Amino acid sequence: MVIITQQRDKCIGCNYCVELAYDRWRMSKKDGKATLIGGVNRKGFYTVKVREDELEENIKAAEACPVKIIHVKHI
Amino acid sequence: MNRNGEDRIELMAPAGGFDSMQAALDAGADSIYFGVEQLNMRAKSSINFTLEDLEEIAQRCGEKNVRTYLTLNTIIYDHDLSIIKTLLNRAKEAGITAVIASDQAVIHYAKTIGVEVHISTQLNITNIETVKFYSLFADTMVLSRELSLGQVKKIADAIKKEHVVGPAGNLIELEIFGHGALCMAVSGKCYMSLHTQNSSANRGACVQNCRRKYKVIDIEDGHELEIDNEYIMSPKDLCTLNFLDQVIDTGVKVLKIEGRARAPEYVARVIGTYKEAIDAYYEGEFNQERVKTWMGQLETVYNRGFWSGYYLGQEMGEWSDKPGSLATQKKVYLGKGVHYFSKAKIAHFKIESQTVKVGDEILITGPTTGVVEFKLPPFRIDDKEATKAERGDDITFELDQIIRPSDKLYKMVDA
Repeated sequence: MVIITQQRDKCIGCNYCVELAYDRWRMSKKDGKATLIGGVNRKGFYTVKVREDELEENIKAAEACPVKIIHVKHI
Repeated sequence: MNRNGEDRIELMAPAGGFDSMQAALDAGADSIYFGVEQLNMRAKSSINFTLEDLEEIAQRCGEKNVRTYLTLNTIIYDHDLSIIKTLLNRAKEAGITAVIASDQAVIHYAKTIGVEVHISTQLNITNIETVKFYSLFADTMVLSRELSLGQVKKIADAIKKEHVVGPAGNLIELEIFGHGALCMAVSGKCYMSLHTQNSSANRGACVQNCRRKYKVIDIEDGHELEIDNEYIMSPKDLCTLNFLDQVIDTGVKVLKIEGRARAPEYVARVIGTYKEAIDAYYEGEFNQERVKTWMGQLETVYNRGFWSGYYLGQEMGEWSDKPGSLATQKKVYLGKGVHYFSKAKIAHFKIESQTVKVGDEILITGPTTGVVEFKLPPFRIDDKEATKAERGDDITFELDQIIRPSDKLYKMVDA
């Protein structure tokens, strides 16, 4: 299983995660920040559990993130 | 125009948070600029305000007749268009004075809803025809930092001669950078941070890797270029204080101080010093002796060494020869505010680290308090007179300024 976490308030809206992992990320039209699809908010940290096939592209997104707010855990 | 409505150069201060904003208000700034959320050039490095802070910013500055400018000057993508509208609508409602913009989307929307526009340095204005073009949208324009004072004066003179007016019907006001960090890229348009760290300076996420040491190696033969100063991409900080008279004489109307990512005591010291210098200029007391004192004041806070930028027409840039700051002083954290006994004018602080003694140079910073600096008077621990306090002690001493639990206590030591 793969757990993806995003500390959303620090997002600067650069769009990289959407470019690299389109199935899991969208730019919010409301506030211009990236939204983690299916993410559940707990005190500003959005978390979602996904299948293994999403691992690789989300690791790329996490590495590309300029503010390092995306964390991908493979368990 | 200054905050008293006099026809003097306007001193504009950076506000990275409420503590710096208060420091700027107390130090005599005529206007402040700040970022909200992510679409400004310090999206990554400073804390930034939120939408909910706009009213408080406008209110606290408005009370002192200090103008407020919202920076909204990054590269803008389609997915940003909605938040831009939200930000500008809220800024208008809150009574923020103007927006500092570079992208046409921001300029256009602000104009549509009647928010005053200032053209950011990101648009790199270097001639009078460009000023005329943007005068269709904006009343104030920041000139490129790469111009000489002669070039600045030519543009200022042409605005008067050709009567170039903005949407408000007044002559265009020119603004230039007066003090603070410079970077090697023209008007900050740099891709080094993006290419090396995927972190775009033009989205406010510069990682400042140009400030590091570099070697230049010829890949073909392996030879290393000998470079005396290894910080080849890190210019010294801009300082115009020692020729501020020439700056004001150009006809520039606004002097901007860089530093939204700097500490509140930096804002207090730099704004306070420039304010003194501006006052001295108008009182006919701007002289080299005073310049020496002012430069000493500026050197106490964060700096990479000073140079005059391109204003005096140097052929080459001056590069920093050390990493980080050359400040002659640094702050050491001591503890936090506990209570203020307003009747007796007694401040109560909890010491959480280090030691402090009578006569130490003390700095207090906080979001409402701003910046307070003084020498520590005789104080008490547990109601007994003391000369030295350490971690765990509760100290009380007389202080005219109100302090709060949100305040932090520091001592200033030689760097």
